[in-house]
Amino acid sequence: MMAGDNDAGVTAAPQQNNPLARKLSKILETRLENDKELLEALKALSTFFTDNSLRTRRNLRSDIECKSLSINEEFAEAFGRVKEELDDVHADVQAMADCCRDMTSRLRATRTQTHELIAKTTKLQTETQRLEMRASVVDAFLERFQLKPEEVKALRGTRDGSLHDNFFDALRRVKQIHDDCKVLLRTKQQTAGLEIMEAMALHQEAAYERLYRWTQSECRVLNSDLPDINATLCQAMRALQDRPVLFTYSVEEFSTARRNAVVRGFIDALTRGGPGGVPRPIELHSHDPLRYVGDMLAWLHQAAASECEHMQSLLKLVTKEGVADVVRQALAHITEGICRPLKVRIEQVVVSEPGLVALYRLANLLKFYEHTMTPTLTADAPLLACLAEMHDLGRRLFFSGLGARAAKLTERVELPPADLGATAGVSRGLALLAEVLESRDSSVARLDARRRDDLAEVVARVVDPLVQACSVSASRLAAVDMAVYMANSLYLIYTTLSLYEFTDRRLEMLQAQVDAHVDTLVSEQASHVLARAELSHVYAHVRAHAPKQGALSVVAGMDAASVKAAVGRFDAYLASPDASALPQCGLLVSPRTRETVAARSVELVSLAYAQIYEAIGAPENGYGDVNAIMPRTPAQVTKLLS
Amino acid sequence: MAAGPYNYSYIFKYIIIGDMGVGKSCLLHQFTEKKFMADCPHTIGVEFGTRIIEVSGQKIKLQIWDTAGQERFRAVTRSYYRGAAGALMVYDITRRSTYNHLSSWLTDARNLTNPNTVIFLIGNKSDLDAQRDVTYEEAKQFADENGLLFIEASAKTGENVEEAFLETARKIYQNIQDGSLDLNAAESGVQHKPSTARGNALNSDQAPSKEGCSC
Ligand SMILES: Nc1nc2c(ncn2[C@@H]2O[C@H](COP(=O)(O)OP(=O)(O)OP(=O)(O)O)[C@@H](O)[C@H]2O)c(=O)[nH]1
Ligand SMILES: [Mg+2]
Repeated sequence: MMAGDNDAGVTAAPQQNNPLARKLSKILETRLENDKELLEALKALSTFFTDNSLRTRRNLRSDIECKSLSINEEFAEAFGRVKEELDDVHADVQAMADCCRDMTSRLRATRTQTHELIAKTTKLQTETQRLEMRASVVDAFLERFQLKPEEVKALRGTRDGSLHDNFFDALRRVKQIHDDCKVLLRTKQQTAGLEIMEAMALHQEAAYERLYRWTQSECRVLNSDLPDINATLCQAMRALQDRPVLFTYSVEEFSTARRNAVVRGFIDALTRGGPGGVPRPIELHSHDPLRYVGDMLAWLHQAAASECEHMQSLLKLVTKEGVADVVRQALAHITEGICRPLKVRIEQVVVSEPGLVALYRLANLLKFYEHTMTPTLTADAPLLACLAEMHDLGRRLFFSGLGARAAKLTERVELPPADLGATAGVSRGLALLAEVLESRDSSVARLDARRRDDLAEVVARVVDPLVQACSVSASRLAAVDMAVYMANSLYLIYTTLSLYEFTDRRLEMLQAQVDAHVDTLVSEQASHVLARAELSHVYAHVRAHAPKQGALSVVAGMDAASVKAAVGRFDAYLASPDASALPQCGLLVSPRTRETVAARSVELVSLAYAQIYEAIGAPENGYGDVNAIMPRTPAQVTKLLS
Repeated sequence: MAAGPYNYSYIFKYIIIGDMGVGKSCLLHQFTEKKFMADCPHTIGVEFGTRIIEVSGQKIKLQIWDTAGQERFRAVTRSYYRGAAGALMVYDITRRSTYNHLSSWLTDARNLTNPNTVIFLIGNKSDLDAQRDVTYEEAKQFADENGLLFIEASAKTGENVEEAFLETARKIYQNIQDGSLDLNAAESGVQHKPSTARGNALNSDQAPSKEGCSC
């Protein structure tokens, strides 16, 4: 830096040292053509300085001053005009400013005014919103809690009593509104709730009343074979379930129509039959009690099944509990009409003495249908009572008839036949019993306790008098004949009964009675054998003898020779035991009884022989060698006889 | 919405007959419930089933009476023939005796039903082909000779069960169309709904008393 300053000082020094030179160079350096101001001034000067003279040179200054003055005057004059103009502009701007100020103040005023208005408007707007809100709430409320005019109309029904298409929708609405009112009652709107509820209740009552009337008239005509249960009716029943009384009445109306239809159908089936008489009228078979009654009951069973279906289809939309009971009750009512015509006819058949077996089967048939119909009806259904009554009547007549027949068969005391077989009366009695019991196998009634009792009674009614009759007949006979006769008769009764079930106890009793008679026969047969060999008095002495009486051989008729002779005759029996059989035993019907009598009597005989053998062999009886008198040992005798 | 299962325009009454154990109840059960009941007890008297079918666009309710085959119920079941529009006569293809009894069943059916009753012969238990005791041809010939419709079916597998019931209905319906079945008669086995005229209109009296000759 220092060096730089030094350098400059060194080089510049020569020029600056001479002012004149400096001035000169400056002048020389002046470039006049570049000085525009000077050029302009010269140009302006050349316009008026045309004549270069002394005078003019002298006057130049004044001339220039003059010239300058005039120019300035011109300037002043021009500016004077400009000023005037500007003054005008100023005035205008002033006016505008005033105007603006005025407007501003006015605007300010307006603004304050507008502000209020806006506030007011906003308030009004919120108010509007609030009101609109309320309006929609009210609309919704009305929508919800008021019926539309067309709904009111739908509820009112038509002039001819039929229902409008949207009746049920309207009714559902009324109900809905009524229910919704309960919600209202829990709010502040209690009065409204109550009023609406009341109005709806009125609507409802009127509508239900109308609906019921319609249903009633609709049901009343449903009395053809196949009732046309249309969808509207089903809807009606569903709606009516809210009014239990009307519902019940409507069901009753329907049941009554059906009841009439069923009665008419029954009478038609009885008297008219099918198309062109095929199938034939049921009454055509009235001569055949079982078929006649069976056809009537089967018809009834089928009719009840159909009616049950009709009932179910009527109530298919009903949702309340216990529809099944309603159906059963209605069926009880529907079938009630049948009772009278049915009862009259069955009674006619039953009292017309169709025969014991037929009566028995009729009673069973009635029981069967009572059973079959029970599930579809109520327990107190008149039809069931009617069937039970008819069953009872048949049953009573059957038993009294059976008793009478048995009594008739046995009233005359018959002498037993020569073959000691059953009397004709007993055979016929047993045939009757067999016939009745036989029909029981084809019986349709279920095996319940009652039926078992019935069977016991059947058997008692027949068997007891028969056994009694046998005893009476037998009382005139000798013991063996009587035993054989009784054994035969009882055996016959036994075999007849043993073919059927539920006779066990009775069979046991009969067997015991047979056994008693067999016992008699056995002892009779044994005595007979001993008597034939004249061993019976020997045996009697042996049994009666007491050791203190002394030796048996000294008793009269019991000497060794007599005993030996008797034993000899007994030997002949041993050779052919059958020859000594009682002739009556051959008349025993049952081979087994015959064998039993034979076997057991042989046993008794062997036993008697053994006792005699023992007595003869006893040394104190003084017979000496027993083998000399009785060559066969008891074991040998038993072996020979078996 | 109200076109529930009850809207039908006809009821056809059927009866199922045949020896005990041939599978009558099983056929009915298969038809109504679409199930096989393996241990089905003997029918006591008669039982009853329904199903709604469609024939030529018509809804028809079948009311089917299943009878007991046991001899002791014969007297009772005979009373159910009257007024049957269709009779299904069943035998068991594995038991010849049930086939041999057909003529007796047929006699009953002919005597106790009306001449228009459609009788359909069913050889049941076709699933037991190995134990077959009656040939198809033999039974077919019997059916032809007696003018019966015939099919072999199985209540167990369900084979042909539907067909038998439906074919019978078709035949009955055809009889109605032909006019050979009089619908006005109370016991034709067919019940017909009065045309859907509303209750209020037109029908106050409708006694079908066109037949004066109640013999
Ligand atoms: N394998 C086979 N078994 C069958 C068929 N149908 C029925 N069964 C059997 O046969 C037996 C008798 O059938 P049910 O239907 O009770 O006979 P039913 O004809 O009604 O007899 P009842 O009522 O006494 O007249 C039952 O054990 C069934 O399981 C079948 O198609 N195939
Ligand atoms: Mg069965």
